[in-house]
Amino acid sequence: MKIKMDDDVLKDNNIAANFNRTLFKQNQTLVINIMSAPGAGKTTLLEKTVKALAKEFKIAVIEGDLATERDADRLRALGVKTIQINTVGGCHLDAKMIAKTLPEFQLEEIDILFIENIGNLVCPSGYDLGQDYKAVILSVPEGNDKIPKYPLMFRRTDLTIINKTDLLPYVQFDLEEAQRDLRTINPDAAFLALSSQTAEGMEDWINWLKKAHTHAAFSQN
Amino acid sequence: MHEMSLMAEVLRLVEEDAFERGFMKVDRISIIVGELSNVLPDALELAFCYFQKQECSLISEKTELAIIREEAKARCKECRKEFDPDYRIALCPHCQQLNTEIISGESFQIESYEGSECFEDKNGR
Ligand SMILES: Nc1nc2c(ncn2[C@@H]2O[C@H](COP(=O)(O)OP(=O)(O)OP(=O)(O)O)[C@@H](O)[C@H]2O)c(=O)[nH]1
Ligand SMILES: [Mg+2]
Ligand SMILES: [Zn+2]
Repeated sequence: MKIKMDDDVLKDNNIAANFNRTLFKQNQTLVINIMSAPGAGKTTLLEKTVKALAKEFKIAVIEGDLATERDADRLRALGVKTIQINTVGGCHLDAKMIAKTLPEFQLEEIDILFIENIGNLVCPSGYDLGQDYKAVILSVPEGNDKIPKYPLMFRRTDLTIINKTDLLPYVQFDLEEAQRDLRTINPDAAFLALSSQTAEGMEDWINWLKKAHTHAAFSQN
Repeated sequence: MHEMSLMAEVLRLVEEDAFERGFMKVDRISIIVGELSNVLPDALELAFCYFQKQECSLISEKTELAIIREEAKARCKECRKEFDPDYRIALCPHCQQLNTEIISGESFQIESYEGSECFEDKNGR
């Protein structure tokens, strides 16, 4: 006997993501899901962001890695409440993993929760975690051709951050072409270029975050 | 990438439904895999073979897997024409405007399955 299902294979992930989203909204917590290839600078940017915003906002972090607590320890050293998820081989975070960590946070006190996803430009973009915004970091040494080569990642994210602009004089990376390519893939996405090392361009990112936070706070209920 | 866990999820959802309906065997599973879903059909088939050999479920070596490929299609919101997108998903090849929507190719769904040997049948229902 044939049974028609028409079920999304990821339906359970979507249910968990909506559960997370409801909790985040109730607690007025702005949630940013940060993705990139390994080593593009997610943790470094988070360290700099925490330092820039610690006086104004209460920040917490969920760190995703295959193994180790290393990235979490870097943020804990700055006094940030951080939960490390080890996926033990898993190539992305899913909404259930996030849901399991939430009881460990006092969400009502947290203004911004950053989720650092697993370093990977393919799988993480397919999993809704319940976040308000998805951001992708592309670092200068990776080359600007990664935007057309991984179009789905850039299509599905609200913000593209080019990081390590201090290396522009040393490596082939065409910023204008990067922006042009991004527009043909996702014209609605915001585009920022910065260096976490020299802090050049950091204020654009901080301003983007503040705006996103205000927007999230006003769009409750 | 993670087709092993995706296949496990497909089988979990099918078996849950099949158990509820009282089937003792699943003969065929049809899934829809979009070209823009980041899911690789070959890797899914490989994962399926692995699970077939586990023999601890409703799935066996006789169970067939049918993968229906869904083409990538986009539509321009300005001129309303459809097109086959390359990586420049937002760029309409007809009017060159940057205002499009993906209308197919993102699916990853269980379309249907075929179950047999109901508990009820054996009880003469
Ligand atoms: N030159 C330069 N180096 C940077 C910059 N940002 C990060 N790095 C370096 O890039 C390397 C990787 O940075 P991380 O912040 O650990 O990268 P990540 O994306 O968190 O890495 P994974 O979590 O392992 O995927 C480190 O050696 C950083 O010091 C930058 O703006 N400029
Ligand atoms: Mg990191
Ligand atoms: Zn058009």
